[in-house]
Amino acid sequence: MSSATLYSVSYFLVNTLLTALGSVLPYPLSAWITNSDLILGLSVLVFGAILLAASMINTIVLIWWERKLLGRFMDRRGAMHVGYAGLLQNFADGLKLFRKNTFKPKEADTLGFYGGPTAYMVTSMIIFGILPISSGWNSGVLPLSLLLALAVFSFAPLFIFVSAWSSNNKYSLMGGMRSAAQMIAYEVPLLLAVVAVVVVSGSFNLNVIVMEQQNYWFWAPLFLALIVFVAGMLAEMERIPFDLPEAEAELVEGWNTEYGGMLFAFFMLADYLRALVGSILVVLLFLGGWTMPSWVPSAATSFPLAGIFWFMVKTYLVFGLFVWIRASLPRVRTDQLLRVGWNRMIPLSLASVFLAAALVTVKCLPVFGCLPSPGV
Amino acid sequence: MADEVTATEKPSDNPILWVAKPMVTAARQFARSLVRPSTVVYPFERLEDPKFRTEVGVESGKPIGVGPIWDNYRGVHALNIATCISCNLCAFSCPDLCIEMVTVPGGDPKHPKKCPEIDYGKCSYCGFCSDACPEGCLTMTTRYELSTHKRADMVYSPERLYQVYQQKLPMNPIRVERPANEDQILLEPPLCIGCNACARDCPTQCITMLDVPKPELKPGEKAPKRIWKEPVINDSDCVRCGTCISVCPKECLFWGNRK
Repeated sequence: MSSATLYSVSYFLVNTLLTALGSVLPYPLSAWITNSDLILGLSVLVFGAILLAASMINTIVLIWWERKLLGRFMDRRGAMHVGYAGLLQNFADGLKLFRKNTFKPKEADTLGFYGGPTAYMVTSMIIFGILPISSGWNSGVLPLSLLLALAVFSFAPLFIFVSAWSSNNKYSLMGGMRSAAQMIAYEVPLLLAVVAVVVVSGSFNLNVIVMEQQNYWFWAPLFLALIVFVAGMLAEMERIPFDLPEAEAELVEGWNTEYGGMLFAFFMLADYLRALVGSILVVLLFLGGWTMPSWVPSAATSFPLAGIFWFMVKTYLVFGLFVWIRASLPRVRTDQLLRVGWNRMIPLSLASVFLAAALVTVKCLPVFGCLPSPGV
Repeated sequence: MADEVTATEKPSDNPILWVAKPMVTAARQFARSLVRPSTVVYPFERLEDPKFRTEVGVESGKPIGVGPIWDNYRGVHALNIATCISCNLCAFSCPDLCIEMVTVPGGDPKHPKKCPEIDYGKCSYCGFCSDACPEGCLTMTTRYELSTHKRADMVYSPERLYQVYQQKLPMNPIRVERPANEDQILLEPPLCIGCNACARDCPTQCITMLDVPKPELKPGEKAPKRIWKEPVINDSDCVRCGTCISVCPKECLFWGNRK
């Protein structure tokens, strides 16, 4: 895996540009501009910009993907007219929201009202610096990257609650409390399902977790954990059937009733950013990340950026599964949601942890093969 | 059918089926609409377009998911000015009073030719006018795109309606046959003054003024002041528009039945 990393790409860009500039400019400026520290620092910034642009574009394309898929599930076509097959429709929608006026309710708390959505958005975007897209295509080798990603991911209920409470609207507050209760109820089984994966792979490092899946992907032996993880992710992302904090068909807008314009767009974008993070985490933890099984012909896995290609294919397919669930299932009630969360999901996730422990003890499975370096 | 009813009444006890069944249903729908969803991409595809119909394999007259309704759609009118006889029946029959008879070139200066001008801001597309038209010159096409930028553009002059006629759009084939009107135009002879107004204004020229003999006058009796002519109506040519009745200054023409 000595291929180009995202950091080396940005370093190459900045280095080429500044060296070219330095050869043109006169002496003191050229020496200053080709300073290696400046190049390093700028390339880190460019790296962040590339990551930001990639995550935002992916998020918007993800919304397009959902609209098209959902359209087919409902026997219609989805967005059609702006751009090829409606690809630019969401950019147009975003532009419309960007041009809109954002105003604050009279008695609303200014810091919470504006800070809540911003922090929600920022914490959702931080995760993209942590997740490896392919080998080398992340910000750095973090030994506890999975733990960090999930920790940042679980900031959301706090900021939802803050922004709901500071909008000075009792319905927003109730929606925010529901949302926080739901997210906290499903965080526990979600983390326990992750524990099953960690027990088998023996690491919190997402790169290591992906490398541990070289013989077989974890979705089949840890199927129970996969189900719990997907259900928990659906609740964390507030998608149907667990979208009752923001039940589009029934409530006004749930906890973001008072938000409009770009602040509303922040919430929408952050929701889909979190959906993208959820899909990526499913791919990383259970579907082998950017690797492909050995029976796949090598021509399909050896072209440039093949890892990223297969990673994106898997991510979009996993998100398609979420859309499929959204198209099929009705919304649950609050009591059903919490009962399923505490009474069913937690025992299931504990069972999946036990299954994972058994897998580590056995080390080899009849059909799948052995773990590369089993367990803690 | 009976199975479906029991299935809806008693949902399965297995919670896995609660999730699995709708997901299978949704997947089946997804697979069906992968080839072609039911949606017609309207400005680019039209149900009445024969090419579109052959492309999606739909028999003519049976658009997808709609049923054979559009063939008798009542859209914008088409007017053949050449055969219009200015009988005014369309304007009479209009329940919305959206038809106004306006003068068009082509008539003689004494009796200008008048053709209907239709205000689509008022029209309810009931089709009474085209049913009432005795000559079949005012018909309804299946064209439905009538949106305009200006309110004045909603008023279709006879010339514009003639342009629609010239486009040879598919016509609404269903015309309610008017019930044979047994009534005829009858004359009350003593009231008639032989003024020729009915014969002058009859759109079909079916009224001829024939001489009537002067009555024998008793001595001392004054002859009534009138032209000694009376209208005779050719009943097979009459379209029963009632123009003669409305123009008669003495109200001596009326609807009636000889039988």
